[in-house]
Amino acid sequence: MMPKPLNLRRRSLVGIAFGALAAPALRAQPNVEITVHYAQPHVFRESKEAVAAAFSRHEPGIRINWVTTPNYDEGTQLILRQAVAGTQADLTYQGLNRLRVLAERGICQDLTPFLNRESNPASQGYSETILGLGRTAGMQAGLAYAVSTMITYMNLDVLRDVGVDARTFPTNWDGVLDLAARIARLPNAPDPIYYDIGEWAWSALLYGHGGQYMSGDERRFLMDTPQGLAAMRLYQRILREGRMPNLNTPAAQQAFGAGRIGVRFGSTAFLRNVMQSVGQNFPLATTIMPVIDAERGRLQVGGSAGMLLTRDPVKQEAAWKFLRFSTSAEGTALMVQNTGYVPCNQLAVDDPRWLGEFYRANPLFSAAMRQLPLTVAWYAFPGTNGVRISQTISDNLQRLVEARATPEQVVQDMQREVTRLLPRAS
Amino acid sequence: MAERGPKSLWADVPRLLVLGFLALLLLMPYIWMISASVKPLDELFRASLNLWPERFHGIENYAKVFSQIPVFGYLWNGIVVCAGILFFQLLFAIPAAYALAKLRFPGRDLALGLVMLGLLVPPHVPALPLYLAFSKIGLLNTYAALILPFTISVFAIFLFRQFFKALPDELVHAARLDGIGEFEIVWRVILPNAWPAATAFAIFSVVAHWNDLFWPLIVIEGQARATPALGVLYFRSDEAGDDFAALMAAAVIMTLPLVLAFLFAQRRFVEGIATTGLKG
Amino acid sequence: MPEALSAAQPASFQAKSRRLTRGEALVGLMLNLPAGIAYFLMLLLPSLATILLAFTDYELGALEWGWIGIANFEEMLEDRGFAIALRNTVIYVGLVTPLSILLGLGAALLIEAGMRGRALFRAVFFLPVVSLTVAMAAAWQYLLHPTIGPLNAFLRLVGVTAPPFWLSSSDWVLLSLGAIGVWENVGYNMVLFLAGLSAIPRELYQAAEVDGTKSWIDRFRLVTWPMLGPTTLFVLTITMIRSIRVFDTVAVLTQGGPNKASEVLLHTMYKEGFTFLRLGYSAAITLVFLLMVLGLVWLQTKALDKRVHYG
Repeated sequence: MMPKPLNLRRRSLVGIAFGALAAPALRAQPNVEITVHYAQPHVFRESKEAVAAAFSRHEPGIRINWVTTPNYDEGTQLILRQAVAGTQADLTYQGLNRLRVLAERGICQDLTPFLNRESNPASQGYSETILGLGRTAGMQAGLAYAVSTMITYMNLDVLRDVGVDARTFPTNWDGVLDLAARIARLPNAPDPIYYDIGEWAWSALLYGHGGQYMSGDERRFLMDTPQGLAAMRLYQRILREGRMPNLNTPAAQQAFGAGRIGVRFGSTAFLRNVMQSVGQNFPLATTIMPVIDAERGRLQVGGSAGMLLTRDPVKQEAAWKFLRFSTSAEGTALMVQNTGYVPCNQLAVDDPRWLGEFYRANPLFSAAMRQLPLTVAWYAFPGTNGVRISQTISDNLQRLVEARATPEQVVQDMQREVTRLLPRAS
Repeated sequence: MAERGPKSLWADVPRLLVLGFLALLLLMPYIWMISASVKPLDELFRASLNLWPERFHGIENYAKVFSQIPVFGYLWNGIVVCAGILFFQLLFAIPAAYALAKLRFPGRDLALGLVMLGLLVPPHVPALPLYLAFSKIGLLNTYAALILPFTISVFAIFLFRQFFKALPDELVHAARLDGIGEFEIVWRVILPNAWPAATAFAIFSVVAHWNDLFWPLIVIEGQARATPALGVLYFRSDEAGDDFAALMAAAVIMTLPLVLAFLFAQRRFVEGIATTGLKG
Repeated sequence: MPEALSAAQPASFQAKSRRLTRGEALVGLMLNLPAGIAYFLMLLLPSLATILLAFTDYELGALEWGWIGIANFEEMLEDRGFAIALRNTVIYVGLVTPLSILLGLGAALLIEAGMRGRALFRAVFFLPVVSLTVAMAAAWQYLLHPTIGPLNAFLRLVGVTAPPFWLSSSDWVLLSLGAIGVWENVGYNMVLFLAGLSAIPRELYQAAEVDGTKSWIDRFRLVTWPMLGPTTLFVLTITMIRSIRVFDTVAVLTQGGPNKASEVLLHTMYKEGFTFLRLGYSAAITLVFLLMVLGLVWLQTKALDKRVHYG
């Protein structure tokens, strides 16, 4: 990147002459280097490097240093630790529910001015839904890069034994649970269904009922509501009628690959992994989640967004360019082809030039993409106890899994415990 | 146990059977790990226990590890860091342990108490302030950051002190009468005799630091100075699932040097521990 | 010792001894200097900083924080999570310590009892100590897998109809982690006992035989066990310290779950500090942990030191 002529104009005559002599030397300066951080390298490395390679064709003067962390949580900790020391990366891809923490501590830049410089963000694929995923703390804290939703993984061999195939798979939970009962009656029956353990996976049931975690003014936790109770009761039915085994998610992944689970409800992020661990063991298919409330039902996303951290103007420009490219139609198309995540660019999804062919050739990947219109942002609880609240919800759900409490008790306890962890209404 | 001459094979069988059975139990995870590292992902988790894969995937798995992370770089870092830590640990601990064992000086009991106290402090306690200090002076991501915090090993001081207490005083007195200065005594008289204990301690130290995950996770960013444990961690992921096959291959690669080193040094190791005077 | 010498030696030697003592003190201090500096900079100072943090409400990256006195400790008293972690740690130590010591001793005795295969078994038994927990995690997940793992397959074969869900059931997870802990520590203790056994003078066994002890059990009771006293005390202390510091298996295999059933002190400390970012509270937990360990070791030394026979 060349320095702006503004600097030269400020100098004295001698300085201008000096500067004129020095200009050729300045033009020969080294390129801009930016440090970019992301999580889950064994999943995203290929896509990040493909994006970087394509990017360098547009902007050869920008060099990228990569920093990786195994998971999103370690990534947030890394940035926070670095911010204390003042050495944070220039650009970071954080879990979507961590944008708030960094935004509220003033660590990231608001991307709105950068977006406003673009002629028409929507025409480049940044739809309102997609931009909304990265909005928090009153600013555009990040641009969503790769999102995941819950989808349905099916073992077609098991389904065939009960007379169902991918097209006739039930579309609501009553149908699924009835299917589960039929699978359980097979000789040497596998575990009929498995629903991923944890707060994020379960939230699909809450949001699917049209519910949400917090009220609009963020004062009240909304578990003790008709939707919350309905979601908890549905979860109970899934556990009991679906005869769900008490496995943790890695164990369920392994059992599904071994053909000992009929249907798994889990994140599309696992897709590549599931495909590899299923391999040649049985035919695999995916589809959307069973629909609970066709009108008000939503799905919380997982995944990551790019956040701009650096304050240095030169690096800001360079980092913004890379961020914009990585979330452009070209960039996200590269990302999708290398992972199971959903692209965050409407152009990439709609325009057959980019991904139309890909989805036709790889139908397994399209389940999550078809649910994109239903998605809502990955919610981050207000205050400083966000992670702890998530943990509290997961712990209480576990009581239901192990049949140590009724849905009503769990709803009550969760309501009480989480409310205590929220900031007091001032 | 009393030595009664070599037992006949027949009489030895029960002992060998019991030991063999226990050994098999202890080795199970290792056996599975190696077997998993040469299988393709869809064969890893089958309901039946097959140790040999149907489709040998070892080349692909190990090649993937070598292509995704700079394996030799990680191993080299592990060697440098462990050797560096060991060097400084011996350098600091042996003189201190000798002084605590054989010499009298004001504050000796206080020093001993501090050593015992230090044994109980887990590494997580000083971690964050150390991290902040290192980052303020720009030492993050360096060998120094990986080595410095561990240069003080109270376990080494403890072990060597036990050992030195068992050394006969005459050794030191004879050296003194010969006119050798105190410092020279440490390096010319004490150290050569400390070799067995040093070997024993070396194994403890190397094992602990080769496998250390917590501290490198905090101070290392990027791959230039990353250690073997981080190399294995690369293939884990909560949101998208671990890449098990590559993970196992990486695990085998990163564990192998340590296992080989131990097999090589194990006799010295046991002898060394015996000489540390566990009699008290 | 200088005093004993000076009582019997001429004055010139006494003077030399006094000079030696002064010189000795100086040398003693100098020899401790490098270690002392390292101890101060790398251990003492940072630990004190962390302890001070225990009385603040510092959070990682917080823009403002301050002194809050003992508020963290008050919170700890009411924290259900901390109480559970405390209880689980005690149970874990209670499981791992006796089992790994007994098995370690047994293995050492068996190995020493014959000549064949010593080096082999020694190496094999020590291998678990050398293992990297992150690497072993997947192996444990599979071996202990409730539906497709070999352990439960074997149990079903011998008639157990509903084998436990080892790592995902609140009832069994602590036991499973304890078993893994024993696996990790057996080799360590075995090696220590081997060293202790090899230091027992042969003459004692010969003397015992002369005195008429015939059976293996009597030999053990009269010679081996008493002579192993200091070793056993050492092993006991080391094993308790190692098991109270359990962290890796919990962090990698269960993350404290399900529903805190496998939460232990150090993992809670880590979670509070690094996941929930509440470093002040985490430091408070650390302080309590340190005091507990100190108390434990003190108690044990007092109770057992008297009963140990030093040769």
